[in-house]
Amino acid sequence: MTTALRDLIANPNAAELELVARYGMQPEDVRRERLFGAFAQSGLPNRRMEAWKWTDFKAALTTLDRPSTASVEDPIPYDGALVFKFTPTGFEAPADLPNGLSVFEKGEAQALGAAEDVPMGALAASLAGEKSRPATVLLEVTSSDLPRLHFQFSGAGEASFARIVIVVRPGMAVTVSESHLGGAGLEASVIEFGLQKNASAVRTIYQRGSREEAVASTALVHLDAEAQYTQTTLSFGAKLARLETRVTHQEPSASVTLNAAYLVGKGLHTDITTHVRHGANSCVTRQLTKGAVLDGGTGVFQGKFFVPRTAGQYTDADMQHKALLLEDGAVVFAKPELEIYADDVECAHGNTCGALDDNQLFYMRQRGIPEKTARALLTQAFVAEALEEAGELEELLRGEAEAWLGAA
Amino acid sequence: MRTMLKIENLTATVGDEDDAKTIINGLTLEVPKGEVHAIMGPNGAGKSTLSYVLTGRDGYEVTGGSATLNGDDILDMDPEERAAKGLFLSFQYPVEIPGVPVMTFVRAAMNAQRKTRGEDEISAPDFIKKSREVGKALKLDAEMLKRALNVGFSGGEKKRLEIYQMMMLEPNFLILDETDSGLDIDALKTVSDGVNAMRSPDRGMLVITHYQRLLDHIKPDKVHVLSKGRIVATGGPELALRLEKEGYEGILGEVA
Ligand SMILES: Nc1ncnc2c1ncn2[C@@H]1O[C@H](COP(=O)(O)OP(=O)(O)OP(=O)(O)O)[C@@H](O)[C@H]1O
Ligand SMILES: [Mg+2]
Repeated sequence: MTTALRDLIANPNAAELELVARYGMQPEDVRRERLFGAFAQSGLPNRRMEAWKWTDFKAALTTLDRPSTASVEDPIPYDGALVFKFTPTGFEAPADLPNGLSVFEKGEAQALGAAEDVPMGALAASLAGEKSRPATVLLEVTSSDLPRLHFQFSGAGEASFARIVIVVRPGMAVTVSESHLGGAGLEASVIEFGLQKNASAVRTIYQRGSREEAVASTALVHLDAEAQYTQTTLSFGAKLARLETRVTHQEPSASVTLNAAYLVGKGLHTDITTHVRHGANSCVTRQLTKGAVLDGGTGVFQGKFFVPRTAGQYTDADMQHKALLLEDGAVVFAKPELEIYADDVECAHGNTCGALDDNQLFYMRQRGIPEKTARALLTQAFVAEALEEAGELEELLRGEAEAWLGAA
Repeated sequence: MRTMLKIENLTATVGDEDDAKTIINGLTLEVPKGEVHAIMGPNGAGKSTLSYVLTGRDGYEVTGGSATLNGDDILDMDPEERAAKGLFLSFQYPVEIPGVPVMTFVRAAMNAQRKTRGEDEISAPDFIKKSREVGKALKLDAEMLKRALNVGFSGGEKKRLEIYQMMMLEPNFLILDETDSGLDIDALKTVSDGVNAMRSPDRGMLVITHYQRLLDHIKPDKVHVLSKGRIVATGGPELALRLEKEGYEGILGEVA
């Protein structure tokens, strides 16, 4: 069977062959086969695929190598959080769970809807059972009083895969944080949120990696009626980092905030990709992405709102992407898209990309603020707007952004 | 008489190298310590350009002459160095700084200047106390000082905030570029009181204005007329009154 799958990947490179071999070492399972098959259709995503034209995993990952760089320290405090760790040796869950949270560690792969749309998510789901990790970590939230759930992904050699499913029962609320700290040649994870009627989730993602690592984080979010989802990402990139979120408003009156800040230095690449389907009436989406890129860094923003004709009336959606090119040689690619078939909708988008304003810089320098400090202050203020919805972690994310700008 | 600002035969251009345009054209001017000099002149004469050349804005190239402040050549200094030397410009068009609250901004500026001068930072309580005093003197709403600098502020509010910054930073040489424009009658009085409170034997001021009205409040020691990039007439306060009556044409016709 592995041979057949292997043949599915056109011109496999060494990394893809290794992924096939790893798949072959997993127990046989129809659902796993389907997941890996969804990945194998394309193999590692590459520039010939429209959705990956700026983020080419196949070119970047010719082999699966352990990076020479270690994981960075996790800046997100535990603070009584329930910490789940995906480590080099496996998986650690908190010993004691409070009432209102059930955790199921599933050995078998679970089906993944629209797996073909998210090849890296499908890959993560098919190989998540490696290193004696659960194939799926399933969490069920039946309380609104849980401490924050924290997921930490750190150093797992050549490759690290994980899958998490979080179901929030009607009317319940949960706060989730995630740290992707590097230390694996390829770290791919897929996290799914099922938010039932009037449930809510606040999710914060921190990602930092080296020039020797590729990261693919895929999130699939489904909202029932009146559910609310607020996501804030702070990404510093890696050799390639793709942080993808696909949201489906599947019942009326749900609301989503999707914010992200990317700060990218030399030799690093961050890709923020989102897809929001307004598949029910009267849903709201607010999206703000802000980026700041140095010489030799690359930022990618791809956002899409899709509003079908049959559903999606009274959609209220706004997408803003603003990037600062801090130095000559910084690169930003942006593709904001609205695809709207329903007629009674309010959808807006904006996209800007440019350098810091000379008038502002001169004004600040006239007041005695040195140029470097003036640049850092303006950039900080610019980026901070995208972190404002991160709740209890806003200050921390701001601090991380400021530290990066201070050193840049 | 101790000269504070001394400008000699200054020429400066704006624009790209290939189509540089001479705006300041052989300008000579001296402001002694403790004096307030007004500069008046037609639109486009080069008044704002002079203030930008003196404060070191990019895009303005000095092609001849000199400018010193307390004997130091300022033209080779970075804008922030000139600011730390005590040079302050109240902008004709104050700039919006999104996301940076007024007080955060001014404190950063104050501490940066102090650092350059080798002084200690101001403590948070001292800063807040001072800000409260200055805010009160200028009748500024405390809430306003927490908002992002100049963002969404009215024209008059922006001008008042320029003076707030000036009173906080206590510079020793002030250039006010049309600070009166956009101010209502009461605000003009408040702002002028603030500026007058800054008058001291150790400070010099250059007040750029189109209107005698401001000079009723801030009484100048001398009035200069700037036209086509140079000072073409100098006199006492009566010169401003004459300009008000006769317009520039009368006076410029006479000197031309
Ligand atoms: N960057 C620039 N490029 C080209 N011309 C410029 C530039 N900056 C200023 N100028 C020109 O220089 C001249 C002087 O402008 P400046 O702003 O100094 O005038 P001003 O005396 O302050 O006038 P006002 O009373 O209207 O404020 C004007 O003709 C203006 O158009
Ligand atoms: Mg002017």
